[in-house]
Amino acid sequence: MKILHVKEFFETMNKDFALSVLTDPKTMENVIQEGHLHRPGLALSGYMERFAYKRIQVLGETEISYIQTLPAELLYERLKEMFEFNIPLIIVTKGLSVPQQMEYLANEMNIAIILSRLSTDRLISGLTRYLRMYFAPQKSIHGTLVEVYGVGILLTGKSGIGKSECALDLLERRHRLISDDVVRITHTDDRLEGTSVNDIGYFMEVRGVGLIDVERMYGIHAVQKKTTIDTQIELLLWQDNIDYERIGLTNNYVNVLGVNLPIIYLPVSPGKNVSVIIEVVALNHILKNFGYEAAEVYQRKLQERINLKSRERSQ
Amino acid sequence: MKKKTIVVKNKLGLHARPCALLVKTASKFRSDLMIKKGNMEVNGKSIMGVMMLAAEQDSELELIANGVDEEYLIIEIENLFENRFDEE
Repeated sequence: MKILHVKEFFETMNKDFALSVLTDPKTMENVIQEGHLHRPGLALSGYMERFAYKRIQVLGETEISYIQTLPAELLYERLKEMFEFNIPLIIVTKGLSVPQQMEYLANEMNIAIILSRLSTDRLISGLTRYLRMYFAPQKSIHGTLVEVYGVGILLTGKSGIGKSECALDLLERRHRLISDDVVRITHTDDRLEGTSVNDIGYFMEVRGVGLIDVERMYGIHAVQKKTTIDTQIELLLWQDNIDYERIGLTNNYVNVLGVNLPIIYLPVSPGKNVSVIIEVVALNHILKNFGYEAAEVYQRKLQERINLKSRERSQ
Repeated sequence: MKKKTIVVKNKLGLHARPCALLVKTASKFRSDLMIKKGNMEVNGKSIMGVMMLAAEQDSELELIANGVDEEYLIIEIENLFENRFDEE
């Protein structure tokens, strides 16, 4: 499970969210374990059941002005009760001033308070996006990611099967490379996003030649930082006894980080032009997105023809 | 499947030359080799993958071999790390 240190959060986002730290440096060691926000209005009013204390607590104008209506003693009790939960971080928006009692208690009980000059709305939408990306499930896999006619295609298969060579052929045909050999996949908003795992550049190994710099060789239009992965193509060595898909009425899927990714098992053999087939897969994917399934259309037409013939026969 | 955790000993870490040696050694075997560093897992027979780990001195790697000759594969790879890829 991924965690986020308050310190790391502050250091990376302090410019974007106009942040400043209120409490002691030691509170910056706290750890955020959940990628959601919580507005603790109910907890402030005394209802502590189901208090989502592990989340970042956001206090806006409403909460702060409510706090100011509470008598000093009651406020102290409430905050103490609240702070007994292990809250990692409280963010107060709009640069509102924090009651002294609250600051004192937070330091005592080791709870971080950070101020933001942004409005609550802007902070919440920005922070939600940031946390979603940060806590998004991620993994890196062995494969090559290319974008063909705008369709993100993940090429996989054993070492030496020809993924990189295939990518080169696609580059020659003016498609784009995102990453060769290792692809980082992030699950965000119900889609899979693929990027390279480092920012050293778009280098690629070609067996027998060595390393090449794709960006230098093919130009900036040949590379891209990220793409949505639409389909996976697994390259397999051609074997005579395996049944390959012939019609395309059934779709296969693999589960990647909880998302069903369409997969095509593509047999390759020497001299076969794989990149043309990959272009075909991409175009077919676009057609399917537009609601056109060639295999189904053909099947329907064939069935009509058969029905017609059998009617003729019975007449 | 056989797993083994090893530590990078040579000063310069896994730069291009050791990576090439590692991949060359791994490719002699029929078993698959995956190398894990943190949340990154790469194919041990692919030079780009191994280089992308950018493994520095004292970093920990997990070798995961799978196949008929997995034991020998692990032993040979381990030897490379032990001998600091004949660098120092």
